[in-house]
Amino acid sequence: MRVFVVLFLLALFGFGIAVMRIEINRSGREISQIQNEVEVKEARNQYLQLEISRLSRPGHIIQIAEEELGMVPAKPHEIVVLEEK
Amino acid sequence: MFRKKGSSPFVFNVKSRMRVAGMLILLAPLCIFVRLFYMQTFLYEEFSSKAERAIYNYLAEDRLRGKILDVNGRELAESVRTHSCGVNKRYVQNKNKTVDFLSQTLGIPKKRILEKWNRASNFFFVAKKIKPDTYIKISQILRTNLGQGLELTPEYERIHPYGASAMDLIGASNSKNLGLSGIEQMYNRELSQDISKKRAKRARRGEIIYDRKLKEELSVANVYLTIDAVAQFYAENALKKEVEAIGAKHGVAIVQEPKTGKILAAASYPVKDGQSLAFQFTYEPGSTFKTIAISSALDAGVVHITDSIDMSGREWKVASTLTVRDNQHKKDFLSIPEIMQLSSNIGAGKIALELGAKNLYYYIKGFGFGTKTDINFNGESKGNLSHFNKWTVVDTATKGYGYGVAVTPIQLINAYSAIANGGTLMQPHIIDRIEYAGGKVDKKSKPVKIRRVLKEETTEIMKKVLQSVVETGSGKHAKIKGYNVAGKTGTAEKLSKEGGYAKRKHIVSFCGFAPVSDPQFTVLVILDDPDKYSFGGTTAAPVFKEIMERLLAMKAVPPDQLDFE
Repeated sequence: MRVFVVLFLLALFGFGIAVMRIEINRSGREISQIQNEVEVKEARNQYLQLEISRLSRPGHIIQIAEEELGMVPAKPHEIVVLEEK
Repeated sequence: MFRKKGSSPFVFNVKSRMRVAGMLILLAPLCIFVRLFYMQTFLYEEFSSKAERAIYNYLAEDRLRGKILDVNGRELAESVRTHSCGVNKRYVQNKNKTVDFLSQTLGIPKKRILEKWNRASNFFFVAKKIKPDTYIKISQILRTNLGQGLELTPEYERIHPYGASAMDLIGASNSKNLGLSGIEQMYNRELSQDISKKRAKRARRGEIIYDRKLKEELSVANVYLTIDAVAQFYAENALKKEVEAIGAKHGVAIVQEPKTGKILAAASYPVKDGQSLAFQFTYEPGSTFKTIAISSALDAGVVHITDSIDMSGREWKVASTLTVRDNQHKKDFLSIPEIMQLSSNIGAGKIALELGAKNLYYYIKGFGFGTKTDINFNGESKGNLSHFNKWTVVDTATKGYGYGVAVTPIQLINAYSAIANGGTLMQPHIIDRIEYAGGKVDKKSKPVKIRRVLKEETTEIMKKVLQSVVETGSGKHAKIKGYNVAGKTGTAEKLSKEGGYAKRKHIVSFCGFAPVSDPQFTVLVILDDPDKYSFGGTTAAPVFKEIMERLLAMKAVPPDQLDFE
């Protein structure tokens, strides 16, 4: 009887390990998929950030300011720096 | 019915039956064991490779690359992961459907894909550098029938959000994230991190099963330059306009902070990846070098600011081989400020002779000419300054007005910055800091004093002299309303291939700083070989003015003139 109990417990332990391994693999697969999604989203975000950099480059802003808005650069002596309170 | 125990060897009692049954039960595992032993010993190679293919997938080698940023953290170069889409014709199941799909997803006409298809024996690339959205669409169908034969290969695109700006400094890198020139090459070790090929467990459909061992600790660094992207833009823009207007072959514009030695902008035109004329170009500076000779003579005490130099006849025979003429004035005597204002070669030559070859040589050396500045840029030139032992009287005199000595733009601006900051030669920098992934920061641009080259009193005198050049002399076009500007023009003839100097080929330049009361910026502008004969005062000085005006406004530097309205 005792042998059967030991064998049963061993079988249960083995089954537990098998289930755990399957679960680890499943989670690992999910993590990999999520990581892939994160990578793709990060790449997309990077592109958008770069687009912001492109649009905020001085040449682009000056072109819009001068050609579209008719602005002219201020001469340095015309700039008054207000003292911080 | 039953025989007695021990009466026959073939009697089956319970014990022997159990033994037989046990042996039969053991036979099966024994067979398995024998088979396993056979497989393990004799079929090992075959089965291990099968298992390898079934269980594992390999993650390709990779190379990450950090960013190059300006001093304020604006991205000048950044790697974006992209993919190339290729077709392995052999595995494609339905040619028409696959071509249709690729055409729609990648936005490439079917005809072009079919042309590539027909040309290729098996594998061909349909598109390179595909965007993340397109990558998602293709990767989703890779494991379906439609996706059979399609391959997505990871690669990198080095993006420069500021376009060609500072490309001469930044340099180039390839799609494998390897630096090829400029900062990209010089700091390749810090900027890139190689990720080795890794074995990962795979699931039934080939997806990678995550494992902590797969994640590699990042060590890649971001390199911050001392360059200010806005200052760089102003310098490049002003330089480009003038180079094109006068048809010059090349142009250089540099902006330096005189107190720290930091380079805020280093523009070359035309721009070539990783080839910065600011550090690699050598030329005879002409009159901008008079500042060096005259400040050295004042510092050594061989001349005094109140002295006058004899100009009688505006002609000076230095030796039988050289007669120097001043055609720009009619005076018989010139004071030292007048020599600078009128850019008199006779005056500067005589002062150089007064100082003597040995003293002049050591002052020039002290200013950093004839040696590399160690700014740490590939291909930096050291210029050319021969030892004074080899100088003749003519050599000494001509060095006084900037001939017979070859300098680099970075050497000249650094020397002017020494005058601007009170006489200390500073170590010029283009790298501000390197920030590693772990948070470690390697600060590279701490102000480093190389040596004192002039007494402070001498620099105060020189600042006034150079200010007078802009106010009443050849540098009038560099005047800025509200600010005291100091500087010197230069117009030098270029060496001719046939020997001697070419009358029609010259280099014009202007170097100066502002505001004189507390110099914030030193700017040097050089225009090489303009189409028409022009002067530093009329071509380079206005470029200097444009750049300096923008810089003063950008940093909101208060005017140092009291009554400029």
